[in-house]
Amino acid sequence: MLADNSAANLVEVQDVHYSRNERAVFNGLSLDVPRGKVTAVMGPSGTGKTTLLNLITGQLLPDEGVVLFDGRVVCPCSRRRLYQTRRQMGVLFQHGALLTNLNVFENVAFPLREHTKLPEQLIRQIVLMKLHSVGLRAAWQHMPAQLSGGMVRRVALARALVMDPTLIIYDEPFVGLDPISKGVIVRLIRQTNDALGITSIVVTHDVAETEILADLSYLLSGGKVVAHGTPQDLHKDKSEIVQQFVRGLADGPVPFHYPGADYSAQLRAMAGA
Amino acid sequence: MNAALRDFWLSFSQFAATFGGFQMFSFRLLPYLPKAILRPRLISEQIYSLGALSLVLIMFGGLFVGMVLALQSYNTLAEFGSTESLGAFTSEALVRELGPVVAALLFAGRAGSAVASEVGLMRATDQISALELMAVDPIQRVVVPRFVAGVISVPLLAAIFSAMGVLGAYLVGVHVLGVDVGAFWSQINERVDMHADVGIGLFKSFIFGISASLMGVFEGYNAPPNAAGVSRAATRTVVITSVWILLLDFILTGLTLPKV
Repeated sequence: MLADNSAANLVEVQDVHYSRNERAVFNGLSLDVPRGKVTAVMGPSGTGKTTLLNLITGQLLPDEGVVLFDGRVVCPCSRRRLYQTRRQMGVLFQHGALLTNLNVFENVAFPLREHTKLPEQLIRQIVLMKLHSVGLRAAWQHMPAQLSGGMVRRVALARALVMDPTLIIYDEPFVGLDPISKGVIVRLIRQTNDALGITSIVVTHDVAETEILADLSYLLSGGKVVAHGTPQDLHKDKSEIVQQFVRGLADGPVPFHYPGADYSAQLRAMAGA
Repeated sequence: MNAALRDFWLSFSQFAATFGGFQMFSFRLLPYLPKAILRPRLISEQIYSLGALSLVLIMFGGLFVGMVLALQSYNTLAEFGSTESLGAFTSEALVRELGPVVAALLFAGRAGSAVASEVGLMRATDQISALELMAVDPIQRVVVPRFVAGVISVPLLAAIFSAMGVLGAYLVGVHVLGVDVGAFWSQINERVDMHADVGIGLFKSFIFGISASLMGVFEGYNAPPNAAGVSRAATRTVVITSVWILLLDFILTGLTLPKV
Protein backbone atom coordinates (compact mmCIF):
# COMPACT_ATOMS: atom_id res chain seq x y z
CA MET A 1 0.00 0.00 0.00
CA LEU A 2 2.75 2.42 1.09
CA ALA A 3 4.91 1.41 -1.86
CA ASP A 4 2.05 2.10 -4.31
CA ASN A 5 1.37 5.53 -2.86
CA SER A 6 5.00 6.54 -2.66
CA ALA A 7 5.45 5.52 -6.29
CA ALA A 8 2.78 8.03 -7.26
CA ASN A 9 3.39 10.64 -4.58
CA LEU A 10 6.71 12.21 -3.69
CA VAL A 11 5.39 13.78 -0.46
CA GLU A 12 2.66 12.40 1.75
CA VAL A 13 1.35 14.21 4.81
CA GLN A 14 -0.62 11.70 6.86
CA ASP A 15 -2.97 12.76 9.66
CA VAL A 16 -0.61 15.42 11.01
CA HIS A 17 -1.44 17.23 14.25
CA TYR A 18 0.69 20.20 15.23
CA SER A 19 0.20 22.82 17.96
CA ARG A 20 2.11 25.99 18.72
CA ASN A 21 1.76 27.85 22.02
CA GLU A 22 -1.16 25.54 22.91
CA ARG A 23 -2.97 26.63 19.71
CA ALA A 24 -3.74 23.82 17.28
CA VAL A 25 -2.36 24.68 13.83
CA PHE A 26 -3.21 21.33 12.21
CA ASN A 27 -5.91 18.88 13.33
CA GLY A 28 -5.34 15.76 11.29
CA LEU A 29 -4.01 17.29 8.08
CA SER A 30 -3.55 14.86 5.20
CA LEU A 31 -2.43 15.63 1.66
CA ASP A 32 -0.44 14.04 -1.14
CA VAL A 33 1.94 15.69 -3.56
CA PRO A 34 2.06 13.71 -6.83
CA ARG A 35 5.39 13.29 -8.59
CA GLY A 36 6.13 15.53 -11.53
CA LYS A 37 3.21 17.90 -10.84
CA VAL A 38 2.87 21.44 -9.55
CA THR A 39 0.83 21.31 -6.37
CA ALA A 40 -0.45 24.53 -4.84
CA VAL A 41 -1.13 24.80 -1.12
CA MET A 42 -3.42 27.76 -0.53
CA GLY A 43 -5.27 29.24 2.37
CA PRO A 44 -5.99 32.49 4.19
CA SER A 45 -3.14 34.10 6.14
CA GLY A 46 -2.41 32.32 9.40
CA THR A 47 -3.69 28.90 8.31
CA GLY A 48 -0.27 27.30 8.69
CA LYS A 49 0.97 27.17 5.09
CA THR A 50 4.54 28.03 6.09
CA THR A 51 4.26 25.65 9.06
CA LEU A 52 3.40 22.89 6.57
CA LEU A 53 6.53 23.82 4.59
CA ASN A 54 8.57 23.56 7.78
CA LEU A 55 7.07 20.13 8.53
CA ILE A 56 7.85 18.84 5.04
CA THR A 57 11.47 20.05 5.27
CA GLY A 58 11.94 18.60 8.76
CA GLN A 59 12.40 21.95 10.49
CA LEU A 60 9.44 21.08 12.71
CA LEU A 61 8.37 17.75 14.15
CA PRO A 62 4.62 16.90 14.06
CA ASP A 63 2.95 16.17 17.41
CA GLU A 64 1.15 13.25 15.75
CA GLY A 65 1.12 11.75 12.27
CA VAL A 66 3.95 11.49 9.74
CA VAL A 67 5.37 13.33 6.77
CA LEU A 68 6.85 11.01 4.13
CA PHE A 69 9.31 12.09 1.47
CA ASP A 70 9.93 9.49 -1.21
CA GLY A 71 8.34 6.89 1.05
CA ARG A 72 10.55 7.65 4.06
CA VAL A 73 9.70 9.53 7.24
CA VAL A 74 11.30 13.00 7.14
CA CYS A 75 11.52 13.60 10.87
CA PRO A 76 12.44 12.39 13.48
CA CYS A 77 15.75 11.06 12.24
CA SER A 78 19.46 11.74 12.64
CA ARG A 79 20.85 15.07 11.48
CA ARG A 80 22.92 13.27 8.84
CA ARG A 81 19.85 11.59 7.33
CA LEU A 82 17.80 14.77 7.54
CA TYR A 83 20.54 16.60 5.62
CA GLN A 84 20.63 13.79 3.04
CA THR A 85 16.88 14.24 2.54
CA ARG A 86 17.24 18.02 2.28
CA ARG A 87 19.84 17.66 -0.46
CA GLN A 88 17.01 16.31 -2.60
CA MET A 89 14.89 19.40 -1.87
CA GLY A 90 15.24 22.96 -3.02
CA VAL A 91 13.42 25.70 -1.13
CA LEU A 92 12.69 29.13 -2.51
CA PHE A 93 12.08 31.51 0.37
CA GLN A 94 9.54 34.32 0.31
CA HIS A 95 12.27 36.98 0.03
CA GLY A 96 14.95 34.80 -1.54
CA ALA A 97 17.21 34.53 1.53
CA LEU A 98 20.35 35.03 -0.56
CA LEU A 99 23.59 35.25 1.40
CA THR A 100 24.16 38.99 1.43
CA ASN A 101 27.96 38.83 1.61
CA LEU A 102 28.24 36.79 -1.61
CA ASN A 103 27.57 37.92 -5.17
CA VAL A 104 25.02 36.27 -7.47
CA PHE A 105 27.52 33.76 -8.88
CA GLU A 106 28.82 32.72 -5.47
CA ASN A 107 25.28 32.41 -4.09
CA VAL A 108 24.35 29.95 -6.82
CA ALA A 109 27.69 28.14 -6.52
CA PHE A 110 27.34 27.91 -2.73
CA PRO A 111 25.63 24.48 -2.47
CA LEU A 112 28.08 23.02 -5.02
CA ARG A 113 31.07 24.30 -3.09
CA GLU A 114 29.66 22.99 0.19
CA HIS A 115 28.59 19.55 -0.97
CA THR A 116 30.82 18.61 -3.89
CA LYS A 117 34.48 18.66 -4.85
CA LEU A 118 33.82 19.58 -8.47
CA PRO A 119 36.60 21.40 -10.34
CA GLU A 120 36.24 25.15 -10.59
CA GLN A 121 35.68 25.08 -14.34
CA LEU A 122 32.73 22.69 -14.00
CA ILE A 123 31.23 24.76 -11.18
CA ARG A 124 31.48 27.81 -13.44
CA GLN A 125 29.69 26.02 -16.26
CA ILE A 126 26.88 24.69 -14.05
CA VAL A 127 26.31 28.04 -12.33
CA LEU A 128 26.23 30.00 -15.59
CA MET A 129 23.83 27.43 -17.07
CA LYS A 130 21.47 27.76 -14.09
CA LEU A 131 21.70 31.55 -14.18
CA HIS A 132 21.01 31.48 -17.92
CA SER A 133 17.89 29.37 -17.31
CA VAL A 134 16.48 32.09 -15.04
CA GLY A 135 17.61 34.86 -17.41
CA LEU A 136 20.26 36.37 -15.13
CA ARG A 137 23.54 35.11 -16.56
CA ALA A 138 24.66 38.68 -17.24
CA ALA A 139 24.03 39.70 -13.61
CA TRP A 140 26.49 37.14 -12.20
CA GLN A 141 28.71 39.78 -10.59
CA HIS A 142 25.92 41.73 -8.88
CA MET A 143 25.51 41.71 -5.12
CA PRO A 144 22.04 40.79 -3.73
CA ALA A 145 21.47 44.40 -2.60
CA GLN A 146 21.71 45.53 -6.25
CA LEU A 147 18.86 43.25 -7.40
CA SER A 148 15.09 43.87 -7.54
CA GLY A 149 12.70 41.59 -5.61
CA GLY A 150 11.90 39.55 -8.72
CA MET A 151 15.57 39.15 -9.62
CA VAL A 152 16.42 38.03 -6.07
CA ARG A 153 13.81 35.28 -6.37
CA ARG A 154 15.15 34.20 -9.75
CA VAL A 155 18.68 33.93 -8.34
CA ALA A 156 17.27 31.99 -5.38
CA LEU A 157 15.53 29.68 -7.86
CA ALA A 158 18.83 29.11 -9.69
CA ARG A 159 20.45 28.32 -6.33
CA ALA A 160 17.60 25.94 -5.40
CA LEU A 161 18.06 24.16 -8.75
CA VAL A 162 21.82 23.90 -8.74
CA MET A 163 21.95 20.55 -6.92
CA ASP A 164 19.28 19.09 -9.27
CA PRO A 165 16.69 18.37 -6.53
CA THR A 166 13.67 16.10 -6.96
CA LEU A 167 11.38 18.52 -5.10
CA ILE A 168 11.22 22.30 -5.10
CA ILE A 169 9.15 24.16 -2.53
CA TYR A 170 8.18 27.75 -3.26
CA ASP A 171 7.14 29.78 -0.21
CA GLU A 172 4.89 32.66 -1.31
CA PRO A 173 6.85 33.24 -4.54
CA PHE A 174 4.57 36.05 -5.82
CA VAL A 175 4.45 38.31 -2.74
CA GLY A 176 5.36 41.92 -3.47
CA LEU A 177 6.10 41.41 -7.17
CA ASP A 178 4.92 43.54 -10.10
CA PRO A 179 2.77 41.79 -12.77
CA ILE A 180 5.74 41.28 -15.12
CA SER A 181 7.88 39.70 -12.41
CA LYS A 182 4.93 37.53 -11.36
CA GLY A 183 4.56 36.37 -14.95
CA VAL A 184 8.28 35.57 -15.12
CA ILE A 185 8.14 33.53 -11.91
CA VAL A 186 4.99 31.65 -13.04
CA ARG A 187 6.70 30.77 -16.33
CA LEU A 188 9.92 29.72 -14.58
CA ILE A 189 8.12 27.46 -12.10
CA ARG A 190 6.16 25.76 -14.88
CA GLN A 191 9.14 25.44 -17.22
CA THR A 192 11.44 24.17 -14.49
CA ASN A 193 8.91 21.59 -13.41
CA ASP A 194 8.23 20.30 -16.91
CA ALA A 195 11.72 20.49 -18.37
CA LEU A 196 13.52 18.89 -15.44
CA GLY A 197 10.72 16.49 -14.47
CA ILE A 198 10.80 17.57 -10.84
CA THR A 199 7.96 17.99 -8.37
CA SER A 200 6.90 21.42 -7.15
CA ILE A 201 4.95 22.63 -4.14
CA VAL A 202 3.82 26.26 -4.30
CA VAL A 203 2.69 27.69 -0.98
CA THR A 204 0.65 30.75 -1.88
CA HIS A 205 -2.56 32.72 -1.51
CA ASP A 206 -2.54 34.13 -5.04
CA VAL A 207 -5.60 32.62 -6.70
CA ALA A 208 -5.01 34.04 -10.20
CA GLU A 209 -1.43 32.76 -10.52
CA THR A 210 -2.39 29.38 -9.06
CA GLU A 211 -5.08 28.91 -11.72
CA ILE A 212 -2.49 29.28 -14.48
CA LEU A 213 0.22 27.31 -12.76
CA ALA A 214 -1.05 24.46 -10.62
CA ASP A 215 -2.01 20.93 -11.62
CA LEU A 216 -3.52 20.32 -8.21
CA SER A 217 -4.59 22.69 -5.43
CA TYR A 218 -5.22 22.20 -1.75
CA LEU A 219 -7.10 24.77 0.27
CA LEU A 220 -6.31 24.78 3.99
CA SER A 221 -8.47 26.28 6.69
CA GLY A 222 -8.95 25.56 10.38
CA GLY A 223 -6.00 23.17 10.42
CA LYS A 224 -7.40 20.85 7.73
CA VAL A 225 -7.76 20.53 3.98
CA VAL A 226 -11.20 21.96 3.17
CA ALA A 227 -11.03 21.46 -0.58
CA HIS A 228 -8.72 19.98 -3.17
CA GLY A 229 -8.64 19.29 -6.88
CA THR A 230 -7.67 21.22 -9.98
CA PRO A 231 -7.96 25.03 -9.71
CA GLN A 232 -11.14 24.75 -11.82
CA ASP A 233 -12.61 22.25 -9.32
CA LEU A 234 -12.00 24.77 -6.55
CA HIS A 235 -13.91 27.43 -8.47
CA LYS A 236 -16.88 25.07 -8.81
CA ASP A 237 -16.82 24.12 -5.10
CA LYS A 238 -19.92 25.54 -3.42
CA SER A 239 -18.69 25.56 0.18
CA GLU A 240 -18.67 28.97 1.83
CA ILE A 241 -15.01 28.98 2.82
CA VAL A 242 -13.86 28.04 -0.69
CA GLN A 243 -16.07 30.68 -2.28
CA GLN A 244 -14.91 33.33 0.20
CA PHE A 245 -11.27 32.56 -0.56
CA VAL A 246 -11.56 32.16 -4.34
CA ARG A 247 -13.73 35.28 -4.77
CA GLY A 248 -11.84 37.31 -2.15
CA LEU A 249 -14.89 38.18 -0.03
CA ALA A 250 -14.20 40.36 3.03
CA ASP A 251 -16.59 38.53 5.37
CA GLY A 252 -17.67 34.94 5.68
CA PRO A 253 -16.39 31.87 7.51
CA VAL A 254 -13.17 33.85 7.97
CA PRO A 255 -14.75 36.83 9.81
CA PHE A 256 -13.93 40.47 9.13
CA HIS A 257 -13.89 41.21 12.88
CA TYR A 258 -11.27 39.61 15.06
CA PRO A 259 -13.18 37.27 17.42
CA GLY A 260 -13.81 38.84 20.82
CA ALA A 261 -16.44 40.11 23.26
CA ASP A 262 -19.67 41.71 22.07
CA TYR A 263 -19.20 45.40 21.14
CA SER A 264 -21.81 46.76 23.58
CA ALA A 265 -20.51 44.52 26.36
CA GLN A 266 -16.99 45.83 25.76
CA LEU A 267 -18.20 49.47 25.83
CA ARG A 268 -20.05 48.86 29.11
CA ALA A 269 -17.04 47.08 30.61
CA MET A 270 -14.68 49.91 29.60
CA ALA A 271 -17.08 52.58 30.90
CA GLY A 272 -17.30 50.69 34.20
CA ALA A 273 -13.52 50.46 34.42
CA MET B 1 5.17 42.56 47.75
CA ASN B 2 3.89 39.47 45.95
CA ALA B 3 4.21 41.25 42.63
CA ALA B 4 7.80 42.26 43.44
CA LEU B 5 8.66 38.68 44.40
CA ARG B 6 7.02 37.36 41.25
CA ASP B 7 8.96 39.86 39.11
CA PHE B 8 12.19 38.87 40.85
CA TRP B 9 11.45 35.19 40.32
CA LEU B 10 10.63 35.77 36.62
CA SER B 11 13.84 37.77 36.12
CA PHE B 12 15.86 35.09 37.89
CA SER B 13 14.27 32.29 35.82
CA GLN B 14 14.95 34.23 32.65
CA PHE B 15 18.58 34.79 33.67
CA ALA B 16 18.99 31.09 34.56
CA ALA B 17 17.48 30.04 31.22
CA THR B 18 19.76 32.39 29.27
CA PHE B 19 22.83 31.34 31.27
CA GLY B 20 21.98 27.67 30.76
CA GLY B 21 21.40 28.32 27.06
CA PHE B 22 24.78 30.05 26.84
CA GLN B 23 26.53 27.05 28.39
CA MET B 24 24.71 24.61 26.11
CA PHE B 25 25.63 26.75 23.11
CA SER B 26 29.30 26.84 24.20
CA PHE B 27 29.42 23.05 24.54
CA ARG B 28 27.70 22.70 21.16
CA LEU B 29 30.56 24.57 19.51
CA LEU B 30 33.31 22.30 20.89
CA PRO B 31 32.97 19.35 18.47
CA TYR B 32 33.09 21.75 15.52
CA LEU B 33 36.42 23.33 16.45
CA PRO B 34 38.73 20.60 15.03
CA LYS B 35 36.73 20.65 11.74
CA ALA B 36 37.10 24.43 11.51
CA ILE B 37 40.84 24.04 10.96
CA LEU B 38 40.09 22.15 7.74
CA ARG B 39 38.61 25.32 6.23
CA PRO B 40 41.19 28.01 7.07
CA ARG B 41 39.86 30.36 4.37
CA LEU B 42 36.60 30.90 6.26
CA ILE B 43 38.60 31.80 9.38
CA SER B 44 41.03 34.08 7.54
CA GLU B 45 38.11 35.99 5.96
CA GLN B 46 36.69 36.59 9.43
CA ILE B 47 40.10 37.54 10.86
CA TYR B 48 40.21 40.22 8.18
CA SER B 49 36.68 41.40 8.89
CA LEU B 50 36.88 41.30 12.70
CA GLY B 51 40.58 41.81 13.38
CA ALA B 52 42.20 43.65 10.50
CA LEU B 53 39.33 46.13 10.18
CA SER B 54 39.64 46.89 13.92
CA LEU B 55 43.33 47.79 13.54
CA VAL B 56 42.92 51.55 13.07
CA LEU B 57 40.76 51.84 16.20
CA ILE B 58 43.14 49.65 18.21
CA MET B 59 46.29 51.49 17.04
CA PHE B 60 44.75 54.91 17.63
CA GLY B 61 43.47 53.82 21.06
CA GLY B 62 46.83 52.30 22.06
CA LEU B 63 48.81 55.35 20.98
CA PHE B 64 46.70 57.79 22.97
CA VAL B 65 46.37 55.59 26.05
CA GLY B 66 50.19 55.33 26.09
CA MET B 67 50.59 59.10 25.69
CA VAL B 68 48.09 59.86 28.47
CA LEU B 69 49.66 57.25 30.72
CA ALA B 70 53.09 58.85 30.24
CA LEU B 71 51.75 62.32 31.00
CA GLN B 72 49.89 61.16 34.11
CA SER B 73 52.66 59.02 35.57
CA TYR B 74 55.53 61.44 34.86
CA ASN B 75 54.63 63.83 37.68
CA THR B 76 54.25 61.07 40.24
CA LEU B 77 57.57 59.50 39.21
CA ALA B 78 59.24 62.95 39.30
CA GLU B 79 58.26 63.33 42.98
CA PHE B 80 60.37 60.26 43.72
CA GLY B 81 63.12 61.22 41.31
CA SER B 82 62.63 58.17 39.15
CA THR B 83 61.46 59.57 35.82
CA GLU B 84 63.85 57.13 34.07
CA SER B 85 61.41 54.40 35.11
CA LEU B 86 58.71 55.96 32.93
CA GLY B 87 59.28 53.41 30.12
CA ALA B 88 59.16 50.39 32.43
CA PHE B 89 56.15 51.73 34.34
CA THR B 90 54.02 52.44 31.27
CA SER B 91 55.11 49.25 29.49
CA GLU B 92 54.21 47.00 32.41
CA ALA B 93 50.85 48.70 32.83
CA LEU B 94 50.16 48.37 29.12
CA VAL B 95 51.39 44.82 28.58
CA ARG B 96 49.82 43.30 31.70
CA GLU B 97 46.61 45.29 32.10
CA LEU B 98 45.63 48.06 29.75
CA GLY B 99 46.54 46.29 26.50
CA PRO B 100 44.46 43.13 27.06
CA VAL B 101 41.55 44.90 28.79
CA VAL B 102 41.13 48.00 26.61
CA ALA B 103 41.81 46.10 23.37
CA ALA B 104 39.15 43.52 24.33
CA LEU B 105 36.67 46.28 25.26
CA LEU B 106 37.30 48.03 21.93
CA PHE B 107 36.99 44.69 20.11
CA ALA B 108 33.66 44.01 21.84
CA GLY B 109 32.41 47.44 20.80
CA ARG B 110 33.54 47.25 17.18
CA ALA B 111 33.63 43.58 16.21
CA GLY B 112 31.54 41.80 18.88
CA SER B 113 28.53 43.99 18.17
CA ALA B 114 29.11 43.59 14.41
CA VAL B 115 29.11 39.78 14.73
CA ALA B 116 25.92 39.84 16.83
CA SER B 117 24.16 42.12 14.32
CA GLU B 118 25.37 40.20 11.27
CA VAL B 119 24.39 36.76 12.59
CA GLY B 120 21.13 38.16 14.02
CA LEU B 121 20.26 39.71 10.65
CA MET B 122 21.11 36.45 8.90
CA ARG B 123 18.49 34.78 11.07
CA ALA B 124 15.95 37.59 10.59
CA THR B 125 16.34 37.43 6.79
CA ASP B 126 16.04 33.61 6.67
CA GLN B 127 19.68 33.14 5.64
CA ILE B 128 20.27 30.78 8.59
CA SER B 129 17.15 28.78 7.65
CA ALA B 130 18.30 28.76 4.01
CA LEU B 131 21.63 27.23 5.08
CA GLU B 132 19.78 24.58 7.12
CA LEU B 133 17.61 23.74 4.11
CA MET B 134 20.65 23.54 1.84
CA ALA B 135 21.91 20.88 4.29
CA VAL B 136 24.69 23.22 5.46
CA ASP B 137 25.11 23.37 9.22
CA PRO B 138 24.97 27.09 10.17
CA ILE B 139 26.96 26.49 13.36
CA GLN B 140 29.84 25.10 11.34
CA ARG B 141 29.58 27.55 8.43
CA VAL B 142 28.66 30.80 10.20
CA VAL B 143 29.23 30.60 13.94
CA VAL B 144 32.49 28.68 14.39
CA PRO B 145 34.64 30.66 11.88
CA ARG B 146 33.61 33.93 13.56
CA PHE B 147 34.30 32.53 17.02
CA VAL B 148 37.74 31.14 16.11
CA ALA B 149 38.66 34.35 14.26
CA GLY B 150 37.77 36.40 17.35
CA VAL B 151 39.84 34.16 19.63
CA ILE B 152 42.85 34.54 17.30
CA SER B 153 42.36 38.28 16.71
CA VAL B 154 42.03 39.60 20.26
CA PRO B 155 45.54 38.59 21.52
CA LEU B 156 47.08 40.00 18.33
CA LEU B 157 45.13 43.23 18.69
CA ALA B 158 46.10 43.45 22.37
CA ALA B 159 49.78 43.06 21.42
CA ILE B 160 49.48 45.80 18.80
CA PHE B 161 47.61 48.00 21.30
CA SER B 162 50.42 47.59 23.84
CA ALA B 163 53.13 48.24 21.23
CA MET B 164 51.39 51.43 20.11
CA GLY B 165 50.96 52.41 23.76
CA VAL B 166 54.71 52.05 24.38
CA LEU B 167 55.33 54.13 21.26
CA GLY B 168 52.95 56.82 22.58
CA ALA B 169 54.67 56.81 25.95
CA TYR B 170 58.05 57.09 24.19
CA LEU B 171 56.92 60.07 22.10
CA VAL B 172 55.58 61.95 25.12
CA GLY B 173 58.19 60.78 27.62
CA VAL B 174 61.31 61.27 25.51
CA HIS B 175 60.37 64.00 23.03
CA VAL B 176 58.01 66.12 25.16
CA LEU B 177 58.97 65.54 28.80
CA GLY B 178 62.69 65.02 28.19
CA VAL B 179 63.24 61.56 29.66
CA ASP B 180 66.57 60.08 28.58
CA VAL B 181 66.04 57.83 25.57
CA GLY B 182 68.60 55.24 26.70
CA ALA B 183 67.07 55.04 30.19
CA PHE B 184 63.58 54.74 28.72
CA TRP B 185 64.37 51.67 26.59
CA SER B 186 66.90 50.02 28.92
CA GLN B 187 64.41 50.14 31.83
CA ILE B 188 61.82 48.45 29.63
CA ASN B 189 64.37 45.84 28.62
CA GLU B 190 65.29 45.21 32.24
CA ARG B 191 61.88 45.24 33.88
CA VAL B 192 59.44 43.77 31.38
CA ASP B 193 59.62 39.99 31.54
CA MET B 194 58.66 37.89 28.55
CA HIS B 195 56.93 35.21 30.59
CA ALA B 196 55.60 37.07 33.63
CA ASP B 197 54.39 40.18 31.78
CA VAL B 198 53.99 39.56 28.06
CA GLY B 199 52.92 35.92 28.51
CA ILE B 200 50.30 36.78 31.13
CA GLY B 201 49.05 39.69 29.03
CA LEU B 202 48.60 37.37 26.05
CA PHE B 203 46.94 34.72 28.23
CA LYS B 204 44.46 37.30 29.53
CA SER B 205 43.65 38.58 26.07
CA PHE B 206 43.14 34.99 24.88
CA ILE B 207 40.53 34.49 27.64
CA PHE B 208 38.93 37.87 26.81
CA GLY B 209 38.89 36.88 23.13
CA ILE B 210 36.94 33.72 23.97
CA SER B 211 34.44 35.75 26.06
CA ALA B 212 33.91 38.51 23.49
CA SER B 213 33.59 36.17 20.49
CA LEU B 214 31.38 33.66 22.24
CA MET B 215 29.01 36.35 23.45
CA GLY B 216 28.77 37.93 19.98
CA VAL B 217 27.89 34.67 18.20
CA PHE B 218 25.57 33.50 21.00
CA GLU B 219 23.56 36.72 21.10
CA GLY B 220 23.39 36.96 17.30
CA TYR B 221 22.44 33.33 16.75
CA ASN B 222 19.70 33.47 19.39
CA ALA B 223 18.40 36.96 18.58
CA PRO B 224 14.64 37.25 17.94
CA PRO B 225 14.26 37.59 14.15
CA ASN B 226 13.21 41.24 14.02
CA ALA B 227 14.80 44.71 14.13
CA ALA B 228 14.38 45.11 17.89
CA GLY B 229 15.86 41.65 18.49
CA VAL B 230 18.97 42.35 16.41
CA SER B 231 19.50 45.73 18.05
CA ARG B 232 19.11 44.16 21.50
CA ALA B 233 21.61 41.41 20.60
CA ALA B 234 24.25 43.99 19.63
CA THR B 235 23.68 46.01 22.80
CA ARG B 236 23.72 42.96 25.05
CA THR B 237 26.94 41.74 23.44
CA VAL B 238 28.76 44.98 24.25
CA VAL B 239 27.32 45.38 27.76
CA ILE B 240 27.68 41.77 28.92
CA THR B 241 31.12 41.32 27.33
CA SER B 242 32.41 44.52 28.94
CA VAL B 243 31.21 43.46 32.38
CA TRP B 244 32.64 39.97 31.86
CA ILE B 245 36.02 41.30 30.75
CA LEU B 246 36.33 43.60 33.77
CA LEU B 247 35.25 40.83 36.15
CA LEU B 248 37.56 38.26 34.55
CA ASP B 249 40.43 40.75 34.60
CA PHE B 250 40.07 41.16 38.35
CA ILE B 251 40.06 37.38 38.85
CA LEU B 252 42.97 36.73 36.45
CA THR B 253 45.04 39.59 37.91
CA GLY B 254 44.50 38.18 41.40
CA LEU B 255 45.59 34.73 40.24
CA THR B 256 48.62 35.83 38.24
CA LEU B 257 50.03 38.72 40.31
CA PRO B 258 53.69 38.01 41.14
CA LYS B 259 54.50 37.66 44.87
CA VAL B 260 56.64 40.47 46.26
